[in-house]
Amino acid sequence: MNKKKFLLLMVLALSLVMMAGCSANETEPSTNGETASETSNDESYPNKPISVIIAYSAGGNTDIAARILLPYVEEELGVPLNVINKPGGGGWTGWTEFLNAPKDGYTIGYINTPNLVTGYLNPEFNRDNSLDDFDLIANHVLDYGAIAVRADDERFKTIDDLIEYAKENQVTGTTTGYAGDDHIAQLRLNDSVGTDFVAVHQAGTSEMLAAVIGGHVDVFFDNVGSVTIAQENGELRALAVLAPERSKFLPDVPTLEEAGYPAIVTSSARGLAFAKGVDEEKVKIVTDAFVKALNNPEHIKRIEDLGYLVDSMSGEEYLNFLKSDEAGIIEIKDVLGW
Amino acid sequence: MMDMIILALEQVFTVATMIGLFVGVSAGMIVGALPGLSATMAVALLIPLTYSMGPIPGLVMLVSIYTAGIYGGSISAILLHTPGTPSSAATVLDGYEMTKQGRGLEAIGISTVASVFGGVFSGLALLFLAPPLSTISLKFSEPEFFLIAVFGLTIIASLAADSIVKGLLSGVFGLIVGLIGTDLLTGFPRFSFGITNMQSGISLVPAMIGLFSISQVLSQLETLRIAKKHEIGDIKGKLIPSWKNLKAIAPTVLFSSVIGLFVGMLPGAGGDIGSWVGYNEAKRFSKNPEKFGKGCIEGVAAPEAANNAVTGGALIPMFILGIPGSAVAAVLLGGLMIQGLVPGRALFTTHGVITYSVIIGLILANIVMGILGLLTAKHLIKVTNVPVVILMPAIVLFSIVGSYAINNNMFDVYVMFAFGVGGYLMKKTGFHPAPVVLAMILGPLAEGGLRRTLVMAKGNVFTYLLGRPISVTLMILIVIAIVSPIILDYRKKNSKKLKVENGVPEE
Repeated sequence: MNKKKFLLLMVLALSLVMMAGCSANETEPSTNGETASETSNDESYPNKPISVIIAYSAGGNTDIAARILLPYVEEELGVPLNVINKPGGGGWTGWTEFLNAPKDGYTIGYINTPNLVTGYLNPEFNRDNSLDDFDLIANHVLDYGAIAVRADDERFKTIDDLIEYAKENQVTGTTTGYAGDDHIAQLRLNDSVGTDFVAVHQAGTSEMLAAVIGGHVDVFFDNVGSVTIAQENGELRALAVLAPERSKFLPDVPTLEEAGYPAIVTSSARGLAFAKGVDEEKVKIVTDAFVKALNNPEHIKRIEDLGYLVDSMSGEEYLNFLKSDEAGIIEIKDVLGW
Repeated sequence: MMDMIILALEQVFTVATMIGLFVGVSAGMIVGALPGLSATMAVALLIPLTYSMGPIPGLVMLVSIYTAGIYGGSISAILLHTPGTPSSAATVLDGYEMTKQGRGLEAIGISTVASVFGGVFSGLALLFLAPPLSTISLKFSEPEFFLIAVFGLTIIASLAADSIVKGLLSGVFGLIVGLIGTDLLTGFPRFSFGITNMQSGISLVPAMIGLFSISQVLSQLETLRIAKKHEIGDIKGKLIPSWKNLKAIAPTVLFSSVIGLFVGMLPGAGGDIGSWVGYNEAKRFSKNPEKFGKGCIEGVAAPEAANNAVTGGALIPMFILGIPGSAVAAVLLGGLMIQGLVPGRALFTTHGVITYSVIIGLILANIVMGILGLLTAKHLIKVTNVPVVILMPAIVLFSIVGSYAINNNMFDVYVMFAFGVGGYLMKKTGFHPAPVVLAMILGPLAEGGLRRTLVMAKGNVFTYLLGRPISVTLMILIVIAIVSPIILDYRKKNSKKLKVENGVPEE
């Protein structure tokens, strides 16, 4: 009998905890953005933990890099930064969540491009979002596009071999998904040079790597980070980078422009932002803290060990970068059928 | 390599690593056994915790949770008809039958032995054969994934207990659910009705929790008012498997372990697929396939050996190529990277001690898990004596928590309840939820595989497929899988006729 009562109590207690958790979430939106920022003492911002919404799952690339960076930002701001993983909907489950959060300065989020941009440009999804919905903080990781082949591929020694061949023949290339940066790179090459790259859309870098190393797909279209590691492991040979200048990770690999082709630049980038409408003062406090933490040499080294480049651009510069990324996609809207 | 293994042994038998191992095994077993809470969720939730631990204790803890979670899932599958993780969905079929026959303890004993063997087997393969095996996994690509998925789908007809038509209908329903989401090849939202949460598809774990756990709760509620004694009688079976039983399951366990190892190595195919393929093949090659689904020990041993063999298998391409072989391995890869360990040959040279420590940790975790399992089984079994009025609300509670925590998303909880009601209605009308889950897992694999194959073939699909030896082999296997039951059936009928004509009495 006692045992039964105990079990019942346990179940009740657990459900109470859960209900409390749920109701806490529900009451939050009722404190309107404006009033909240007025009542909380501005001088002492931030005075409670800040939520960082990541639109991808725990253990993913964005998550790993974020969890390396955030402790350094915590030191600058003096409050905890709590990661909340909200995967799903191609990132939009998480982005919608933080766009709808109260504008009190206690919710920030990672924005990943080009996924964010293609997500609102693709007419199938009927989204009326744009870059104007965000107050940008700073960029974190910038990974330019790169083209590589299997290390022992006899057909393509240089980027010229590949492009000349692809003008005459159909060549398969990997991508991380429809309208992802790798797909955009292929479409823009086809558009400007007249190559015939066809995309084999896959779920992620690991599947793409397996397909190219195994000899099932011809060309590895991905980013400098993954190409660098695969080249060090003797699995791939980098042919070109799709960047404005050579990468410090692949100093011997030419940019597409250096090789005599149009200066196509694609990248996968992720940075931090508030939803528009947060007090300017607060945006500045957080931005300053992030820029300081981003430039911490210890942080830069840990990110570079993973093969990524830290680019801490903020403000105008970050906005212009995102806008040029957006422009590159708008350029091939017809090809995508948008 | 040997000297590195010895150094690694020293690292494993430190206090911190041992604590990590025991915490991992216990937590994995508990989370795995609780219906609704899955191994993937446990690893994903604990990964942030390992960021501040040293690489060896942290990673050993994660692999311990992984393998123990997969094993723990079989306990609730056997005793409560609710698989604790997707990997034990196949164990429900025979495991719960055994419990209904009062042989629950025996089933747990069999599952423990099979799981430990599968886990240790794959751990040893990981330790000694990782480099050559990872090159085999590279030979598999989209055409092979498509064919493996089709091969797996051939079992649907035999999963349906009463009627093949109902089994096929359930399978088609699962395939349709698998179509929901954004089309990978065109970026077009399919059947998402403008709902952002549906644009990434219906998550498997919440759907499965609903189909198995919630539907079971609803069925139990039906009988609540009829003051009937629990249908499960006293549990009398022997926990430690008899020599005779061990000999009976030995070939199945070995064969399923090999299957699990290979399925684990393939990117994207995890314990859920491994256990179904293991169960399917055990049934196909059994001398008395009609015993399956009616509480036969091979039906418990096969999926349990296979799903634990997947764990080591999934880590092989992850360590060497950075290609995770299962969903949990993908999460583990994150745990590896955050420690500054980048997959590749360097893991077996520069960072060899860490890598070998983790592998030895995985093998040890399987053994510890077996011992803990056998020691606690007598107490675990009491869960079937817990009154329905307490057990059922608890299952609902865990199902809600488990569905929410996998993606931190309330929508998944609604999905779980919708599938729960759907699963209950299916049961009432004689449909089985197992083909739905199987088709939800394999459908997207088959679709993606086929459509990518069409691109990769550059227009010549048939010559492309025929030029790939593994594909040809798989195609032959599929034809055999579909045709052989028909021929066997025909021959059985004929021989019966002959026997009757010759006056031989039927056995």
